[in-house]
Amino acid sequence: MNKANFYSTRLFLNAVIPVMKEINQEYGYFGNRNCKVQISVDTSEGRLGTHFVVEDGKMNTVLACTDDADVTFHFPNEEHFINFFKGKSTKLPKIKGLGKPGIVVATFRTLLKMSALLGAKEPPKEEAVKALVVKLFFYLLSTGISQLNKLGHEDVVNWTKTSPNRVYGWSVDGYEEAGAYLRVKAGKTKAARGMYTRSQPFFTMRFADLDSALAILLSTGDLLQLTAEKKLIMEGAPEYGAQIGDYMMLVGSYVQ
Amino acid sequence: MGITYTSLDTTKLSTAEIYAKVLCDLAEDDERIVAITADLAKSTKIGAFHERFPERFYNVGIAEQNMFGIAAGMAKCGLIPFTATFAIFNSCRGLDQVHTDICYQNLNVKMLGTHAGTSFGQAGTTHHSTEDIAIMRSMANLTVIVPADGTETANVVKAAIEHEGPMYIRINRGFDQVVYDSMDYDFQIGKAVTLNEGSDLTIIACGSAVFSALQAAREIEAQSGIKARVLDMHTIKPIDADALRKAVHDTRRIITAEDHNVIGGLGGAVAEVIAESGMACAFKRLGLQDKFSPIGYHEDLMSHHGIDTNGIINAVEELLKMDFEEDEDWEDEV
Repeated sequence: MNKANFYSTRLFLNAVIPVMKEINQEYGYFGNRNCKVQISVDTSEGRLGTHFVVEDGKMNTVLACTDDADVTFHFPNEEHFINFFKGKSTKLPKIKGLGKPGIVVATFRTLLKMSALLGAKEPPKEEAVKALVVKLFFYLLSTGISQLNKLGHEDVVNWTKTSPNRVYGWSVDGYEEAGAYLRVKAGKTKAARGMYTRSQPFFTMRFADLDSALAILLSTGDLLQLTAEKKLIMEGAPEYGAQIGDYMMLVGSYVQ
Repeated sequence: MGITYTSLDTTKLSTAEIYAKVLCDLAEDDERIVAITADLAKSTKIGAFHERFPERFYNVGIAEQNMFGIAAGMAKCGLIPFTATFAIFNSCRGLDQVHTDICYQNLNVKMLGTHAGTSFGQAGTTHHSTEDIAIMRSMANLTVIVPADGTETANVVKAAIEHEGPMYIRINRGFDQVVYDSMDYDFQIGKAVTLNEGSDLTIIACGSAVFSALQAAREIEAQSGIKARVLDMHTIKPIDADALRKAVHDTRRIITAEDHNVIGGLGGAVAEVIAESGMACAFKRLGLQDKFSPIGYHEDLMSHHGIDTNGIINAVEELLKMDFEEDEDWEDEV
């Protein structure tokens, strides 16, 4: 199997699909249900999956397969899985648990909303939706970089293994809950949500407002112009901004 | 006042010579300024003041206690006496008078302690002054300043005239490595100068250790991309607590470097602020590790005590390995 597919599969499972939790939190597709929902794929290394434990409608994410999911969306191979999540194929996965249509529908609606939000070409109109999209991207990118390190991606590993204990943050002024950060230390990484509060991060990609963040995340704006207008503020040494930007692009290349 | 000194002057004049020259320049316009020494006019370079203003210069002989007592009396009469002696004599031999005659009465006496730290190297351990910052900063009312080089010393002398109250100015013997190109930077008593920006760690230094710290920061950035903030903490008291708290918040790793015992000096002063701030950080104090110094050249002694460039680089590498938060959980939040 090629390396790109290897990283794509695992980033979708461990960094992209987990943001369904945030979408459900916003839209409440699962109502007050209690259930387990799983998305899995057969790979050359065996079955991989991510499942959600839904309690009173609230999702908790587990980066592993479970045997007792109420509903499972299963992909028989990685190509099918990747093409589906990249929007290149509309071929549906095998669905186990069709006898629980409410859960199946809720899962579909969450997936479709994720596709609409992350695949948007233009920024949404509503402020709350803008904040959600920014949050999804920040979570996805910070987790994606960390996952690439854990998966042994050579470029990322070379970067992290010599790093002292540093924190890289992403934030939008006035929307602290949308922030995310990545801690790096001597080859280890941890992606986390919200603002890092123990101290000022080593480097922060800080946006003055949601529109500026979306302009960069949806590639509709000009980075240099936003920087010149102080809509994008690189807090820390600029070379680290370029570096973290490269890794954001790298994650994007695998899950776009 | 139109006094300007540059790094060119500091290559021709020792730090003490700059001190005396600036004092003379200021004394031209301010008749309140007088100078007193205890038989160290030549060594402390205050003799230059004698040549310009013989009627405003007093040598009390080898009698430091008298010097401080007389200075206190002069200050009571509205003069601004500048005393000059070795730092060790200022902080130890004459301490009773410094304490009771000057500090207790909050008098406007400016005390110059020269040959501080280990800068008197070959003169012997008895003439090293590695406790003076600790002693002097515990004197109520006293401002304690340790300039980084000759140019900063010029700024300190200017500021000392404008500052009301007792002050201890601690300088080295001979020439200092040049940190500042000119006097034209934002020097304020009680405000640290940021010489290098960085967010990996902060090196806080005073006196001759400032140059070492700056060199170390440049070398570690060139070698390994580590970004070290360097603060010239010229005023030990009142210390710039805002700059310290910001350094802890921004960089979470703090190294102090001083040519002084680590107990009670700059490191002690910084530790007090950090402890009271309630913020956690990795912390290391460089200086004499509660021991007297051997005898040798100043540069060699700086190296011996780990406060030269290499010593600070080693400390940075050590500090970067220290943890300041839980390390067990490296699972991504999802």
